[in-house]
Amino acid sequence: MRIKELIKGDAGFQYVVDNMELMSAAGRRKMLDTEFSTDAEWLNAEWNRMDKAIAAVRKHKYKKPYVDLRHCLMCLHDLRGTLASLANHTPLNEVELFEVKNLAQLCRTAAGAIEGFGLTEMLPLPNIDEVFSILDPDHTGIANFYIYDSYDPRLAPLRKELSALQIAGNDPERIAALLTEQNEIQGEVCVRLSDKLVPWAPTISEALEQMAYTDFLLAKAELAIAWNLTRPVLGENIEYKALINPRLKKRNESTGLRYQPVDITIGHGVTLVTGANMAGKTVLLKSIGTAQAMVQCGFHAPAEKVETMLFDGVATSIGDDQDEMNGLSSYAAEIIKISDIVKRSRTEHLLVLIDEPARTTNPTEGKAIVQAVIRLMQNASSATLITTHYGQLGGDCRRLRVRGFVEDMSDIPLNPRNINLFIDYSLTEDKSGTVPHEALRIASLLGCDKELIDRAADFLNR
Amino acid sequence: MPFVQEILKHRSLSIVGLEKNTGKTVCLNYILRRLNELGVPVGVTSIGVDGEQVDSVFATAKPEVTLYEGTRFITSEQHYMKRQTVSVLEHVDSRRTALGPLVTARVLVRGKVLLSGAATTGVLRGQIGQLCNAGCRLAIVDGALSRLSLASPTVTECMVLATGAAVSANLKQLVAKTRFLHSLICLDEVSPAMRAALSPVEQGLWGVDDEGVPHDLGIASVFLIGNAGSDLLRYGRTLFASGAVSDRLLKALTPLGKDITLVARDFTKLFITPEAYNDFTRKGNRLMMLQRSKLIAVTLNPTSPQGFLLDSRATCDALSEALQTPVYDVMKIEQ
Repeated sequence: MRIKELIKGDAGFQYVVDNMELMSAAGRRKMLDTEFSTDAEWLNAEWNRMDKAIAAVRKHKYKKPYVDLRHCLMCLHDLRGTLASLANHTPLNEVELFEVKNLAQLCRTAAGAIEGFGLTEMLPLPNIDEVFSILDPDHTGIANFYIYDSYDPRLAPLRKELSALQIAGNDPERIAALLTEQNEIQGEVCVRLSDKLVPWAPTISEALEQMAYTDFLLAKAELAIAWNLTRPVLGENIEYKALINPRLKKRNESTGLRYQPVDITIGHGVTLVTGANMAGKTVLLKSIGTAQAMVQCGFHAPAEKVETMLFDGVATSIGDDQDEMNGLSSYAAEIIKISDIVKRSRTEHLLVLIDEPARTTNPTEGKAIVQAVIRLMQNASSATLITTHYGQLGGDCRRLRVRGFVEDMSDIPLNPRNINLFIDYSLTEDKSGTVPHEALRIASLLGCDKELIDRAADFLNR
Repeated sequence: MPFVQEILKHRSLSIVGLEKNTGKTVCLNYILRRLNELGVPVGVTSIGVDGEQVDSVFATAKPEVTLYEGTRFITSEQHYMKRQTVSVLEHVDSRRTALGPLVTARVLVRGKVLLSGAATTGVLRGQIGQLCNAGCRLAIVDGALSRLSLASPTVTECMVLATGAAVSANLKQLVAKTRFLHSLICLDEVSPAMRAALSPVEQGLWGVDDEGVPHDLGIASVFLIGNAGSDLLRYGRTLFASGAVSDRLLKALTPLGKDITLVARDFTKLFITPEAYNDFTRKGNRLMMLQRSKLIAVTLNPTSPQGFLLDSRATCDALSEALQTPVYDVMKIEQ
């Protein structure tokens, strides 16, 4: 799966992608085409390149070579189509030849800039000066282009006559004939130039792709610096210290709410997460999913410490996919998704994230379904994290509980809008097998109708 | 040599028409020829598509735009390929239009070109800047259809207005329609202090108090004005419409009495009929501009695409008198 597909189902990763300061369309294409990798060697190599890029950006950010390189990348056009035509021996027109000449010049300038901050070995650009020379017969050194007189001996006299006639302005027929002849010669020259460039097509493509990758790598490095991201370490478990969800953190900061990073360690098998409503269980699952996608696409991850393992994929069932138009109820959409996850996990090594399974059906059957999912996933090779409000599920799995509502956490008077200040989002090991019963308390804190809450409390006590 | 010296006091010029076929291209050719004689380096582009050999709506023969040595022009790739000049490509834009990317080139041997350009004023502003940075003393934007937005003072510094038989073959109507638009172009500007206070406002209808401070009236668009009534005047009798001004807004204000000053951004934001405007001003209210466009000249094309031909001399005289501005017959100045 490529980033292009991953971001469709992961708003957190989409947010990461949206915040990449890419200079060129080619760089953006490079990013979106990046695969979710299971190759530890490639990932470690990419993170090594990131380390070097980050060091270079920190050191050179406002210095000339770096600024020059970013400017070069800003001027880079994605000529994939043109280069494919060239490789297929389709003659290029004047505008396309101009674009190729411009790319050759950008490549030379970019190579100089990259050398300026010492990354030539890591980001080598091919030498395509010869391409520039082919398109610069008068040795102007400028990236302007037209079918120069020196390309064909017939052009200079023709244009001289044309110019004289145009100034005199009295022989439209001859002017038209000359223009036609000029166009024919120009067409011939375009074919000849294209033929000369055909052998260079792979090298020009390589230059384009390498510049696109440079853009992508530098944007990743800039993001890692701006967001304080951490290089992942591959190990036997998933362990995050101070994991954050960048999208939510930004939202909270902009609305003046506090944001609490979370520590979590999970291994193979099933880990259950319980906790009151509003305690951040769903956000936790989403954060882990986004972080894992970032890691396996070669990014640094949003936590202070990042240890993780590689999976064949991240499988999630989070949120309500009710779709009336497809005739699917909330329950139907969810159970189909969970069934797919169970099937896939028989053959694949997955990171499975399931948010409150079977919450929209009757509690008796719902609980049974959850118990079945837990047993099946325990036997699979995947690492599974399930949030639930069901207690007494049995099974020999690890349980974590979100600490949740703490009344004396803040001195400020509590109201429905600042409830976030009174929730401790950290996780604790839970051996009890029970779940917190705080639904009514939270409802009353949210200022819900008193009669509703009192009646519910009555029923509970009966 | 009418009005060319006046143009040279500015960095950018738009040529807009009241209608299609009012002679914008003829006027542009005249200006380009005069500037070439004066040796002024110019840049040319268009909004939308223009310069086609045959008018695509009426199928009448259309003059092409002739560019001289040293002129820079911006057009689309497809039109560039059809040029009848020798020119050097200097820039290719990464944004694409329906006719390929926009390209910038410099003319080596004079000849005719097809002009096309960006469809939005934002991109157009960037192109004018690009032409000026490349060394053009003046950037000229050729209009398309009856679009006026390019004549906004936020886009081009000065303008030439083209009118003609295509607007109406009836002399009285032609004069009335031209005079109305002309009167809107020439509306008074607000004081520099008020302009400074109102310029940052981005959206909605605002009331201006006696100290000149704007207050949001909470109406995002004049289309949502509803039955706001005299509530609109709660901060004072000066209002600022940051977006479009429509008949609906004038009709809502007209019953509220006199001495109301309605400020619009510039004349291209006015979408009003003479009737609504006259009712509004007759009550003692007035319309003002944040920024006024500098109108250099009015030109006339006495022929209409349907074949009507107006008497050139009589029409020019009638228009000149009504507008109190010189009006030139484009067919004659070209000779």
